Order: sequence, then structure tokens, then C-alpha cells
Amino acid sequence: MPEDELVPMAIDDDLCIGVGQCELLEPEVFRLDDDEGRAHLINDGRLPRDRAETVVDKCPSGAISIRPTT
Amino acid sequence: MTRSTSGLDAPDVTTAALYLSGVPHDRFTRMRSQPGLTWHPYESSGFWAVTRHGDVKEASKRSDVFSSGLGHTNLWDLQPDALEARRSILDTDPPDHTRLRRLVSKAFTPRAIRRWEDLTRQITEELLDEYLAAGGGDWVAMVAAPLPIRVILTILGVPVDDADYLVEISNYLVEGTSDQPSLAADAYGNTTELRLLPFGSPASHALYQYGERMGEQRRAEPRDDMVTMLVQAEDDGDRLSHNEYRNFFHALVFAGNETTRTAMTHGAMALADNPGEWQRVLNDPALIETGVEEVLRWSTPVLHMRRTAAVDTELAGTAIAAGDKVVMWYVSANRDETVFEDPFRFDIGRVDNPHQAFGGGGPHFCLGAFLARMEVTVLMEEMQKRNMVLEPNGSAVHAPSNFVHGILSVELGASRA
Repeated sequence: MPEDELVPMAIDDDLCIGVGQCELLEPEVFRLDDDEGRAHLINDGRLPRDRAETVVDKCPSGAISIRPTT
Repeated sequence: MTRSTSGLDAPDVTTAALYLSGVPHDRFTRMRSQPGLTWHPYESSGFWAVTRHGDVKEASKRSDVFSSGLGHTNLWDLQPDALEARRSILDTDPPDHTRLRRLVSKAFTPRAIRRWEDLTRQITEELLDEYLAAGGGDWVAMVAAPLPIRVILTILGVPVDDADYLVEISNYLVEGTSDQPSLAADAYGNTTELRLLPFGSPASHALYQYGERMGEQRRAEPRDDMVTMLVQAEDDGDRLSHNEYRNFFHALVFAGNETTRTAMTHGAMALADNPGEWQRVLNDPALIETGVEEVLRWSTPVLHMRRTAAVDTELAGTAIAAGDKVVMWYVSANRDETVFEDPFRFDIGRVDNPHQAFGGGGPHFCLGAFLARMEVTVLMEEMQKRNMVLEPNGSAVHAPSNFVHGILSVELGASRA
């Protein structure tokens, strides 16, 4: 697979505690909802694979993953 | 009770007096080098010590198995009524934890924290200028204590004039984790049984009362601040109980000032002890970014948190029974030689630095992480702008605690390079 392939992201709403690390790293894809205190995907919710893996790794609560595509 | 750790070296790491001369790192280093977990007798039973970085991370993320709500998150056990009375966001599991966390999380996101940067800088400038003019002094009293308490009180909406009083309360709370608290049981007019108060301290009674007073004031006269937001959540009915309110207020005041004070103090001591590392920042301020993370790793303000096994399980190859206490020693994980190159070296340019100063991840990841980062960043930026150098000028007085890495006072010299 090419390095710059775009992959779809996913957020587990039960795990998200609204830290905001994702929005800090990728503001074009993640947005904290201030009323709900949790993150949502915005735009098309996709990232290049290397950046996607960084966000997954950096999310402290483990709420973010790369959505499997079949 | 038989534990499958015979032959392993499980030294005492809980006697608070051990910490008067600093963290007993040699003991943790020995514990990390052994397979599995070590069992340490404590009170009438004991606990499993988790000392390696990877194991702390795993225990933190498996929060369904390693529960925060079943027992206390401090070492010592509490009777059920005391646990209920003292229960804060730290001692809850999802879904209660998620409900509490989401009430306040929006105020602590990186985006929200930016709002407080100018204020933090203004406070920092004032404190550093005074410190420089005096040629130094007690870093804790003159810089590290007043800085974060003023910021967190502003965020909460509490009068900054009360900062000294709330620092005093915080100091007594730290002392509550030691073997020999000095406060009389009826200090601050307390009449509650000590076992029902956080840290078993009458100072918690004072902080509860203070929080109640603030809550009543904001209820009568709402403002754009966190206390108002919390009392409104309480009035909504099912979002926040009154006991949750007072424990939340308690936790925000304490954790919002004592921990960052500790980071700033260990950081300043490290800069004084390693002038070559600080010189690197004076030459290249871009190193502040890695420097902040190294200060956090180096200081590890909270030494450990405890979990309670919800079911029979296994960690690091060690069998753990339901109900066992499992204690994650962040201070040890942050010196794990398999993760950090030359871990006992203070390296201001450390690049690969996945420290656990904010915990090992999972739902209880430090709420104030980005606030603390911003505060330490501003402090280092303002020191750099002033070309300020620190030097050792006496020994630090450590808090007698196995729970927090507190420094009560430390004399440093300060001048312009």
C-alpha cells in the first residue's frame, strides 16, 4: 500500500473522555464538541496512514482507531 | 495468603520516611529487573507493584479489569462508607467516570487552555522578576506554589486572594498522606470523623467548606467560570450529586496546584544541577518543547495510583486474584531503562520520551495535562527570555509521602547569565 494512502478514522464514544489531543494534532479531521465533552470526526474523517497511526497512538484514552475497510 | 513471588526481591517502598531523602530509585530499579510483579505486604494484606513502563500502560488501559471504583485509588483501604464519602472522579469507573469527566473536559482541552496563556505569562513575569531581584530564595514559596494556584483559581472562578490559604490547605493534604500528620483532628473547626475525609485530613473539611461557600455564591450570582458550571450541573438533577460536587472541587483545587508546583520545582532543581542542559535552551529556545516533557518525566509529581482487580486476571505473567490491589508506580516507569535511554540523565533535548507523568493512559489520563504543559512551557519561556540561570543553594526539603513527589522548600540562587 502506498504511504500516502488515506484511511478512515473511527472514535469509540464510550472511551472518548474529551482530552483534545486528536484536535490538537489533526484539527481538520477531529473536533471537540464542547457541550458533549467528546470528539467527533469532521470533513471526510480520513488521514494519511502515518498520521492516522500517530493519532491512534497519541490518544490517551485509546478511543481512536483506523476503521477497517473490507 | 500465598503469593507466587517467592524468591523475588520486594523491598519496602511505602514507608513515607524513605522519601525524605528522595525516591528510593535503587529499589525500583531492582524491582524492574525481575520477572513479573512483586507482592508487597501492606496494612493487613498487601499489593502487587507494577514498575515497568509497558505494564503500567497495560494496567492503565485495561480499566475494566483494573478498577478505580471498587476500592480506593490510594494504597490504604477505606471502609465502604468512607469510600463513598470521599469518592472523587479519581475513584470512579465508567459510566460514572465518563459523566463526570465530560462535565469538565471541555475546559481542559488544548484549545480551551490557550485562553489562559496570557494570564499565566503575566503571573510568571511578575514572580520571576521578583525572584531575580531577590537573587533567588525559596523557589517553592516564591515561584512554584503561587504560579499554578493562581491559574487554577482563576479557571475555577475562586478569588485569587485566597491562594495562600488554599496552598496551606494543600500542604496539609500532602501531609495527610504521610505517617505523622501534625494537624489536630478538630483543626479548621472540623467535627467529621477523619476517616471520612480525603487524605484523612481536617484540611479536607476546610476545603469542602470553602467549596460549598463558593458554590452558594455562584448559585446566587452565576458567572462564566467552572464553579458556576458545576453548581448548574448539580441543579440539573442527574448530572452531578452534591457529594460529587464537593469532591470535584476538592480534587480540582488540590490536583490543579500541588502537582504542577512539584513539576516546576523538580524542573528548577534539575536546571540548577545541570547548567549545561539549561545552557542548551538559552542557546536554542526551540528545545523548550522537549525540555517541558523532560521536566515532566523527571519530576513525576504523582508517584503512583492504585487499582483493584475486578476479576481474576494476569499482568506481566503474574496471576492476580479478584480484589487484589495493583499499584502502578509511574515514578519507576519513568526511569524504565528499556524505554528511556540513560533514564537517570536529565536530557533537555530528549526526543523519544513517552513518559507517564500524566498516567499510563486510559480513562484516568490526567485532566490537567495540557494546563500543566502550558504552565511549564510559559515558565521556561520566560526564564529563557530573561537569560535567567539557577544554581543550587541548599538542600531540598522533601514531603514525607509515598504518594506525591512533593518538595516543601528549596533554596536556589538566581541571576542573569
